[in-house]
Amino acid sequence: MKIQPFGDSSLLISYENEISEMTNQKVIALFQLLESKKGITFQIPAYNSLTVGIDQDIWSLHEATIFIRNQTSDALDFISKTNKEYIIPVCYEGDFAPDLNDISNHIGISPTELVTLHTANCYRVFMLGFVAGFAYMGTLDSKLESPRKDSPRLSVPAGSVGLAGLQTGIYPTQAPGGWQIIGRTPLEMFSPERNDPTLLKPGDSVRFRAISKEEYQIIRLKIETGIFKMEVSLG
Amino acid sequence: MGDLLRLHFKKPGLKTSIQDFGRTGFQHLGIPIGGALDKEAMIAANRVLNNPDSNPVLECTLIGPEIEFTGAGNICLTGAEMNAELNNELVARYKTLKVKTGDVLKLKGVDEGCRSYLGIQGKWNVANWLGSYSALSSYLSENGFMASIQRGDELEVENIKVNEDFRAPTYKKPYYSSCYIVRVVTGPEFSRFSIEQIEDFFNKIFSVSQDANRMGYRLNETIQGYQALQEEISSGIIPGTIQITNSGQPIVLLADAQTTGGYPRIANIISEDLDIFGQMKPGDDVKFMLASL
Repeated sequence: MKIQPFGDSSLLISYENEISEMTNQKVIALFQLLESKKGITFQIPAYNSLTVGIDQDIWSLHEATIFIRNQTSDALDFISKTNKEYIIPVCYEGDFAPDLNDISNHIGISPTELVTLHTANCYRVFMLGFVAGFAYMGTLDSKLESPRKDSPRLSVPAGSVGLAGLQTGIYPTQAPGGWQIIGRTPLEMFSPERNDPTLLKPGDSVRFRAISKEEYQIIRLKIETGIFKMEVSLG
Repeated sequence: MGDLLRLHFKKPGLKTSIQDFGRTGFQHLGIPIGGALDKEAMIAANRVLNNPDSNPVLECTLIGPEIEFTGAGNICLTGAEMNAELNNELVARYKTLKVKTGDVLKLKGVDEGCRSYLGIQGKWNVANWLGSYSALSSYLSENGFMASIQRGDELEVENIKVNEDFRAPTYKKPYYSSCYIVRVVTGPEFSRFSIEQIEDFFNKIFSVSQDANRMGYRLNETIQGYQALQEEISSGIIPGTIQITNSGQPIVLLADAQTTGGYPRIANIISEDLDIFGQMKPGDDVKFMLASL
C-alpha cells in the first residue's frame, strides 16, 4: 500500500497494480471504514486505488496519512458487511443485443453459450465511474474476453449490458459507448429521483438472469406502476 | 413572500447553466462534483446582492442568453467581460442592477475571460439534487432533470432577503488575460515520465483547443517525443487533474469530468488557480509552474 498526496487536498491510496477481487476488497474495506470518519469530503474507490478528499480545516494531509496507515489492518475486518448481492434480469434477444452474434463469432462460441457463461458467474462491482451509476463488474470467464468496438456508438440505450476486456457493465443512462452490447435489463440502474440514485454500490455482487422479451415488458410495467420487487440478498 | 422575479429565456446562449458550489461526496457513485468553474466570480455576484455565497447563479459561456423579466428584482453580473445590455444600454459588472417587468437583458460575446455569472437576489425556485442546484452533464437533461438552459425556459426567483444582516461585499475582482501561468503540484504518475518529458511539459506554452468544456480542456500541443506510457488501471480523477493522452496531448479535467480515468496523471492544478483556469477560452495560452504542497 502506498499513500501519496493527490492535488492539494486529497490523498491517493494505491494497492497492488492489478485488477483482482482481493485487491479491490482492500480498497472497499478502507472506503467503508472511512465513510463514517469526520474530515473526509469525498471518496473515489477504484479497482486498486482509493482517492480520499481531506477537509484541511479538520486535519492536515499528513495527519490523515498517518491515520489511514494505522487503520488498514483493522479495515479488512469490515469486508462486505454492508454489501448486497443482486440478481439482475437481462433480455439477451433481438434489438436488445445488437453485438451478440458478432461478438460470439469473434470469440468462437455460440450466442447461447455466451449467455450461459455470462449468467453463470457472480460478479463483483469493482467501482462506479464513466457516468453516474455505471458499474464496472468482473471478472468474466476468460472465454468471454472481448475487445471494445472499433468506433464507439454515439448513443447506447439505458439498461444496455456490455462486455469489454474481462469486464461487464450496464449503461445506467443513455450514453456514448464502445462496449459490446449483448443484452438489456429492464431495471433502472440510475434514477435521480430516488433517495439512492444508483442501484449498485462499490463492492456489491451481481448475478445475471436471462429473461424473455415478454418478461422484460412485464418487469418494465411493474417498475412503472411501482410494484416491482428487486431480487436481493445480503452478500 | 417577497416579489417574484420571473426570467424568460428568449435565447439560451452558447452554454448557460445553473451552478453553485456543486455536490461533493457522491463521486463513489460516479457522480461528478459539478459547480461553477469560477467560484470566486460566483461568490462575488452573490456578495454584491447580499445573497449567501452558496446561492445558485447562472453560468454563461462565451455568448450569454437573452432574458426578459417579469416582476421586480435585483441582479448582478460578474466574471468574464461579457458585453451586457439592459434595454439596449450597456451595463456595468459587479454592480446591483434593478430589473422590472418588460426589461430585457442581452448578454453578448466576451472580450476577455470565458464565463460570466448572473446572480439574482433571493430564493431560486429550482430543483435541488443531492444538496446542489448545479446542472450536470447532458445525460441528465434527457431525464428532464436539471439540464442546461434552453430557449423558452423559465426561471423564478422569490425576491426575499435570504441574509438577515447586510455585510459590506468583499470579493476579488480579477483581471482577465489571454495567457496565464497556472500552478500545479505533481500528479500520481509524475515519476513515470522522463526528465525530458517533464522539462517539456513545464517549458512549453500550451494553448486551449476547441475541445474545451465543463468536463475538461484538451490542449493543442503535445509533449515532445512522447511515447505512450502503459495505460493505467482506472483510478480517481479530481478537478484540475492533468492527464497525458496517448498522443501526448494534455487534458485538464474540470468540475463535470467523469470520476475515474486511465491516462497517466502528470500534474494537478492547485485549487486556488482553478477559478482562473475556468476563465480560459479556446486559443488562450497557458504555462504550468510547479508548486510544492
